[in-house]
Amino acid sequence: MNKKKVLVIDDEDIVRTSCSRTLAPAGFEVRLARNGVEGLKILEEGPFDLVLTDLKMPDMDGIEVLRKIKEGWPAVEVIIITGYQTVDTAVKSIKLGAFDYIEKPFTPDALITAVSKALDRKNA
Amino acid sequence: MFVRKSLHSLTGKLIITIGTLMVVGSTIFWYFLFRHQEGELIKNSVKYGYSFVDYVKKSTRYGMLTFQQLLIQQTIEAIGSAEGVLHVRIFDSKGKIAYSSNKKDIGLVLDKKSPICISCHSSPGVPPKDTQTVSISRDANNFRVLNIVQPIYNEVACYTSACHVHPREQKVLGLVEASLSLAPLDNSIKHQGIAITVYVLVFLFVISVVLCTILWNLVSTPVSMLTRGMEKVAGGDLDYHLDINTKDEIGELAHAFNAMTSDLKKAKNELVEWGNTLEKKVQEKTEAIHRAQAQLIHSEKLASLGRMAAGVAHEINSPLTGIVTFGHLLLKKFPAGTEEYEDIQVIIEQANRCSSIIKGLLGFARASAAEKAPTNINDVINHSLNIVRNKADFFNIKLVTNFDERLTKVRADSSQLQQVFLNMIMNAADAVEGKGTITITTKNIRDNSGDFVEIEFRDTGPGIDDENLAKIFEPFFTTKPVGKGTGLGLAVSHGIIQEHGGTVFVKTKLGEGTSFFIKLPALKEGP
Repeated sequence: MNKKKVLVIDDEDIVRTSCSRTLAPAGFEVRLARNGVEGLKILEEGPFDLVLTDLKMPDMDGIEVLRKIKEGWPAVEVIIITGYQTVDTAVKSIKLGAFDYIEKPFTPDALITAVSKALDRKNA
Repeated sequence: MFVRKSLHSLTGKLIITIGTLMVVGSTIFWYFLFRHQEGELIKNSVKYGYSFVDYVKKSTRYGMLTFQQLLIQQTIEAIGSAEGVLHVRIFDSKGKIAYSSNKKDIGLVLDKKSPICISCHSSPGVPPKDTQTVSISRDANNFRVLNIVQPIYNEVACYTSACHVHPREQKVLGLVEASLSLAPLDNSIKHQGIAITVYVLVFLFVISVVLCTILWNLVSTPVSMLTRGMEKVAGGDLDYHLDINTKDEIGELAHAFNAMTSDLKKAKNELVEWGNTLEKKVQEKTEAIHRAQAQLIHSEKLASLGRMAAGVAHEINSPLTGIVTFGHLLLKKFPAGTEEYEDIQVIIEQANRCSSIIKGLLGFARASAAEKAPTNINDVINHSLNIVRNKADFFNIKLVTNFDERLTKVRADSSQLQQVFLNMIMNAADAVEGKGTITITTKNIRDNSGDFVEIEFRDTGPGIDDENLAKIFEPFFTTKPVGKGTGLGLAVSHGIIQEHGGTVFVKTKLGEGTSFFIKLPALKEGP
């Protein structure tokens, strides 16, 4: 069985590391990107199953990244990582096709559950 | 001093003027009355004098016609002896005294220049007057003497008589002269003069007394009452009432004065009342401005806190993610029950606590992004109660609702209001420490600024002391044990209610409990 490929886009080093240290032992292949531009470049390199992107980043924010992904790779599921949740951004991201959003700080279990759920839907 | 003042007073001037007029008038009256009386008396005396001379002529007529000289002389003497008759004399046509009551005068010829003769024989060469004359002279005692001279005219009987026939052409045969003393008349005039003077003086005195009394009562007393009234009113006593009820001008003046005083009093009262209410209004407005200012500062504080919270949330949540994640990773390396395991769990718990503080702070940021719609407050409270009712913390708490079924809707974000109500209920539950009653009351109220819906959360807790009461809406203020409350609940609730145009206020009594009131503007009924 192929490992599911997950791309994590976040400007915070600790968040990226947390994600990789949580998801890698759980059997996911994890790539990391420091910003939206880098993330989109990595996406072009090969097919990914899921993208976790931070909402608030310099240069290109999470909503913009989500829009670009949904334009270029509609099959890729997106989970938004957010520092704080507002109704506005939640509604906006779901409308744009995000599968879910996850609030920082999240526990490893919560992250694995969210990612698994998204991938389950994709496979269904 | 008093006399000078009295003379300068209105009454004094009136009395002096009227008194002077009275004295002058009475004097003139007295003078003319006296003169008239005197004239009348003299006129009567003259008339009596004429009658007397006539009487002399008639008494001696027979003697004359029969030329009985002795008879004539005796008659003259008899008449001359009467009281008041000084003398009676008959002159012949040559000016010689033929008969006299005074015998020694007989044969005497009076000079034409003597006082008796001069009235007819005014000057030599001029024919004498042949009419009777009257003159009044004075005797040695300064009494008046009435002198009457009457010619004896020639008559038929005279020139036809056989005795000493007078020529027919002679007009005047002689004169009868009588001197009558007017001493009784003078005495009478003197007595009458004294009597009239006394009467006039008595009259003047009585009139003066009456006049003074009348003027005193009619003018002086009311005028001094008016003066005293003016002084009282000028001194600020507006309750002073003039007790003058006459129907005259003074009465009218007093009436006008009383009306003026009462108008003044009314005006003053209005002014004072206006001043008082103005002060109260200014105070109320000042308080309202202070409140608005305080709320504005508070809102501003909350808004900047919200902005800061959003930034902090973003910055802090990332490192917290790291702590939580690595904590969990580390946790897997130690079996449960070991000291390391417990320590790591503490790290994770504290990180989560940080996270919940951050979430509380974010309430400020969220308060400004409300989605408002017409909302039934009773429903929102019921939803909030349903959430807490099954919680273990509420098992021993009696939840009482006292809803106004006709409660007006408000325009609000129901999820935000629910957050507020939950916060109020949780606080109340903490206040009663798990055992007591929480009463929630809703009602429509109306005050100066409009219609409102009021929600009261009343607990039977210990109450809040003054020191804490001043701080309860401050962010991060809490009386709860560390780890139990963030101190943000009321601050966020306050922010949300403010954003809805409402107010939150507290009434508390130590030992009895606390009531939190939320007042929201009622939605105006649409057409």
